Amino acid sequence: MSGVFQPANESQISDFIRDSAKSNNPIEVVGYNTKAIGRYIQCSQTLDLSKIKGIVEYMPEELYIKVCANTSMLEVMDLLKSKKQMLGFEPVDYGYLYYGKSNYGSVGGAIGCNLSGSRRFKAGALRDHLLGFRAVNGSGEIIKSGGTVVKNVTGYDLSKLVAGSYGTLSVLSEVVLKVLPEPEYSETFIIYNLDSLQAINAFSKVMKTSLEISGACYFPKNNINFFRLNDLDNTHSVLALRVEGPKKSVIERVSSLQSIFKEMKKTTILELYQSKLFWKIASNLECFSNSPNVVAKISLAPTDANSFVKQFCDDSIIGINNKYFIDWAGGLVWIEIDNLDPSYLIIEKIKKFCTQSNAHMTIVKSNMTYRSTGSFLTSASDDLKSLTSRIKKSFDPKSILNPGKMYAGI
Amino acid sequence: MTLQMPQADELVLNNKENIILDLKKISSNVLFENEEITPYETDGLTAYKQKPIAVVLPETTDEVSKVLSYCFNNNVKVVPRGAGTGLSGGALPLQDCILVGLGKFNKILETDFENRCVVAQPGVTNLAITNAVQHEGFYYAPDPSSQIACSIGGNIAENSGGVHSLKYGTTTNNVLGVEMVLMDGTVLRIGGKNLDSEGYDLLGLITGSEGLLGVITEVTVKILKKPQSVRAVLIGFDTIEDSGNCVADIISKGIVPAGMEIMDRPLIKATDDYAKAGYPRDVESLLIVELDGTESEVDILIEKVLEISKANKASYHRASASDEERLRFWKGRKAAFPALGVISPDYICMDGSIPRNKLADVLGEIYKMSKKYGLGVANCFHAGDGNLHPLIMYDSNNPKELKKAEEFGADILKYCVKVGGVLTGEHGVGIEKRDLMCEMFNDNDIQQQLRLKKAFDDKNLLNPGKVYPILHRCAEEGRIHIHKGKTKFPDLPRF
Repeated sequence: MSGVFQPANESQISDFIRDSAKSNNPIEVVGYNTKAIGRYIQCSQTLDLSKIKGIVEYMPEELYIKVCANTSMLEVMDLLKSKKQMLGFEPVDYGYLYYGKSNYGSVGGAIGCNLSGSRRFKAGALRDHLLGFRAVNGSGEIIKSGGTVVKNVTGYDLSKLVAGSYGTLSVLSEVVLKVLPEPEYSETFIIYNLDSLQAINAFSKVMKTSLEISGACYFPKNNINFFRLNDLDNTHSVLALRVEGPKKSVIERVSSLQSIFKEMKKTTILELYQSKLFWKIASNLECFSNSPNVVAKISLAPTDANSFVKQFCDDSIIGINNKYFIDWAGGLVWIEIDNLDPSYLIIEKIKKFCTQSNAHMTIVKSNMTYRSTGSFLTSASDDLKSLTSRIKKSFDPKSILNPGKMYAGI
Repeated sequence: MTLQMPQADELVLNNKENIILDLKKISSNVLFENEEITPYETDGLTAYKQKPIAVVLPETTDEVSKVLSYCFNNNVKVVPRGAGTGLSGGALPLQDCILVGLGKFNKILETDFENRCVVAQPGVTNLAITNAVQHEGFYYAPDPSSQIACSIGGNIAENSGGVHSLKYGTTTNNVLGVEMVLMDGTVLRIGGKNLDSEGYDLLGLITGSEGLLGVITEVTVKILKKPQSVRAVLIGFDTIEDSGNCVADIISKGIVPAGMEIMDRPLIKATDDYAKAGYPRDVESLLIVELDGTESEVDILIEKVLEISKANKASYHRASASDEERLRFWKGRKAAFPALGVISPDYICMDGSIPRNKLADVLGEIYKMSKKYGLGVANCFHAGDGNLHPLIMYDSNNPKELKKAEEFGADILKYCVKVGGVLTGEHGVGIEKRDLMCEMFNDNDIQQQLRLKKAFDDKNLLNPGKVYPILHRCAEEGRIHIHKGKTKFPDLPRF
């Protein structure tokens, strides 16, 4: 058996996987196929989920939406918008990174990679918004977990496990996502001309207030000119702080930010429309649009962010100048690694940094050679790998679902 | 005990003395005399009691690892225990087990305001975390009502909630990292001060796993800055439907309150008699809405909520003008358990979650059941997150009433599942709802979860007999039993 199979429903997914398990035929699971994250794998069969789409149930007052797993993320976002609601984790559009243009891909794809945007530090990751799912495991059995309610401790929380499992545990067929009301209004307070250390300090200062900042990012001077907004000067480094809520409260809080940072020489305020656009451009990685290089994200303790930047992004003395930006109030550094040396030395150094500082790297874009041979994740300890392998087997005993996608041999 | 637990291992029971001697070589805190281990024979689900072979109170991760490794090698079952406040029997010992109590892991290791987190040992109480950071204006968000006594490790095991879950999430949304020991003694560190971690989300999986996958020995939790302002509104309705509609309307209008609570008429009367909270007595349903944020934001939201309540035929409404008044609104609600203890000799507290819009339907059904079984019932409902706690009143001196109350409770949970809800919102499955699991899950679902358990504990030695049915049947056994208002922890509010 080989080729591409396009099931029309969950029961066809189940039949196909059951047959593949019997014949030990590995399967690459594909949704919109828009994200080249994870190790490159070659399977004799492709399970194309294009037809597993559609809104099953949207209950605005119950704050959830149930959709077939391969429904377009954009379709879901548009539907929620029509009821002034949204996905709290702020879905990221990886289309720019890979193709230079918008493509949000599918809901299932975002879940598989657990992709969260700039609101993550306040609202939680995608995995925090997945309330329940139905899926087919590696034996072809239909399984379910969770439900439509936010408070649920009935059995293991498998939603957390499938979010970020890169399709290696099960094939999602239906998912329930928590939704939240859209904020009535938002503004973004901008501080220009800070260096990375000053930026981290500013994040720390503002996170110790009760101003409820919902976005906090920093773009250095060499990675700012892609912003084309009327009210934003794109020739200086930019630190941006987003404030959302009822208009009166937003205006008051932005004014508090002005007082807190009154010693800063150059600041500005982006009002509603420009503010929304700013965060869309930032979250969607438009700064790395169509990048030919390796792009990675490093989740770290905010107090380690500056040391990371100094070592790997920006140090004129030792001649390091990689494009980067900081998000999640210092908890995430995005880096584009220029002129990748054939031995991938810098990646190994970053991994070492991550191991030492208990941080975590995910390479989201790289070349085919690296994707085929290297590891896109930091590097799990032997004990963790062994447990990972046992978990994988508990869902997929024959290891036929995206084998090797996360770790070689698992 | 009528509840079936895993069969005791005769080899282990016969080797009891040697096991105790061996454990004493690993830990200096091994309890085995009858009177020493009696306090550990039950948790918050006091209807069930069982003494273990011994209780070990380790003081270091290394000690936990050695105890577990020893038990693994000698096929001895282990039951972990935090503060023992759990309501579903998750820490009930087994006859042939070693109970590992984490009570000596009681230190806060680090308060890190720069990274907005606290690193603590698992035996630290939930409230102690807030106490350790409140001088800087921070707090730990999940606030189960037993927060003064329950441990943070136990919170992770149960994925504890509280009244603010809609806005701030439950434990799972507020934990950043853990150190845990697997049954074979392997020590793993997952997460830390960073937000996303390597590989499968083991942190999410371990949270709410009821002590079946590993023993937590350290936690890192997120702390939040306290909101500038908190206010509450008390709203009365002539029908349950109106209060349900009001809740739906508040959410539809884009408001996410910090807390929303509904009480029905029997509970309003009982709590107001007991706590003198000043509740209106002529309403069928009372809604408390708490709003937090910046001062102007809260003022705006209070106005909006009042408008919405009027549009939904509220017959009474009052916004708190001071923090004292806000606390008075909560006083009755928080006294639900002792208040019922006054009017009924015994009661069972159930814990289902339902879609918010099914409230009137489910309560209607519960009242019908109440008539059918001839037992009184009072209801409180975390309307924000759909978590319903019916309190079934009975008299344990009449053995027939106990059985009826248990059947009544099981019927309620089954109905919760029928309308799209779940068996337990925050108390956990434990042994209490174990045999109702097949109301929600089919064999495929349960087998998948059991295989996952094997990936962590292939000999099924860690907390066996909990959460998943031993028998392939849906029996109705055991609930939280409270006799004459006396719970195991009578001072703790339970809601």
